[in-house]
Amino acid sequence: MRSCDGVVNLRTGRAMNGTKREYVGLNPMPPDFAAMYPPIAFVVEEYCIGCDRCIPLCFFDALEMIDKPEHKYRRVALVEPKHCTGCGLCFEACPTDAFVWVPDRSDERHASKGEGDLEDTNI
Amino acid sequence: MKQLKSDACLPTAFAGLKLRSPLIVASGPASHDAKQIRLAERKGAGAVVLKTVCSEKYDNMRYWPRPRYKLLDWDRQINGRSKQFTLYSYEQGYSGTLQAYWDFVRVCKEKSDIAIIGSAFADATADWVDLATHIEENGADAVELDISSPHRPGSLGFETTFVEAIKSVVNSVKIPVWVKLAPGPDVVNQSVAAEQCGAAAVTLCNRMRGIDVDIENQRPILHGYYAGIGGPWAKYYNFMNVAETARAVKIPISATGGVMNAEDVISYVLLGASTIQILSAIMVNGWDVLMEIHAGIRSYMERKRITSLEEIRGKALKKIVRSDEIVRWSGEPKNGPRNEWD
Repeated sequence: MRSCDGVVNLRTGRAMNGTKREYVGLNPMPPDFAAMYPPIAFVVEEYCIGCDRCIPLCFFDALEMIDKPEHKYRRVALVEPKHCTGCGLCFEACPTDAFVWVPDRSDERHASKGEGDLEDTNI
Repeated sequence: MKQLKSDACLPTAFAGLKLRSPLIVASGPASHDAKQIRLAERKGAGAVVLKTVCSEKYDNMRYWPRPRYKLLDWDRQINGRSKQFTLYSYEQGYSGTLQAYWDFVRVCKEKSDIAIIGSAFADATADWVDLATHIEENGADAVELDISSPHRPGSLGFETTFVEAIKSVVNSVKIPVWVKLAPGPDVVNQSVAAEQCGAAAVTLCNRMRGIDVDIENQRPILHGYYAGIGGPWAKYYNFMNVAETARAVKIPISATGGVMNAEDVISYVLLGASTIQILSAIMVNGWDVLMEIHAGIRSYMERKRITSLEEIRGKALKKIVRSDEIVRWSGEPKNGPRNEWD
């Protein structure tokens, strides 16, 4: 099984050699940004087909493929909430519409709602 | 200044600055964080135009709507290989405070060897001057006046607001002042006006302002206001803007819009541009695209046996003819499957 280091960008054909991983997030965000504009991206694993298309398109290093042996495709995309800026590009990349918006879990006021409170804003 | 590998170093003089490459990272999400500036430096960019900072009056521009991007015509089934797409963007100003921006400029200048260009947007002349002087004080090599942001309020006119601002900023700072103009029929006149006001360079052109409609819900898509639109298709219109402006002004032109590969860069140079600003290509293809473009330019230069892009700058511009000079039919025999009558 391929690990995330062996991921090839399907569009450019290049190996994803980790340039994304050097860059973390987008700083600084304005105060209360998360509270005022909560949603961040979240992957519904049931729909994810492990195709890697979202990885090169995430400009903010918030997505990675993780190995998941019990999943049908054995690997799924995972959003790093701290890095996600809510830009929406991964929604454009996904052929199976596996992305939904969730309240930002980095903000305490929304933390109590938990991950079960999915919001599909259908952009 | 650190030297890059030979295939990345294309020294360029631009508006008083000595850049190691004509490729500049345009103002936007790729120039919002000091870590990105170091990445741009490593990948060979000659300069970075930092994300535009807005005056306090436009504080709301710091709070970007979510989601702020949409890729139109992006074929997700074939993973965007269709080459044509539109990046529909609501991203507005720099999201930190003014103080954070001054620190950002200073840190970028301290931590990197490439030229750092500050970028500002305001409406009142006093605010323009305030932003530009702070950018200068914190060490930026130049300041770009983003008078043409697609997100600006529509009421701000060039003559009524921005001419005075350009004049005042030029009189207040010692660093070169670049003016970023919007694509459109006024671009030549505005470039001439900017030159007369003392601008050191013009950046042509900003993203267009556009809007797309959700016909099922009968409303604009996303957040209801006009968005900045750009993509590979934008280059043809900007090629013309650059060509027309290059004939009208003496100040150098930094071209931007739709650059995806080395061919686009060379086309802009052939039409008279001195530097090229890139953003969408970095966003969708990654930072390595800078190195690929450098390699492409280098290979073109070898093929054409030139040692500097300066040798070909404006070459195609000289061959643009007036409409009454178009040769309707040269009478030459033409080769090709459909022209075999002789």
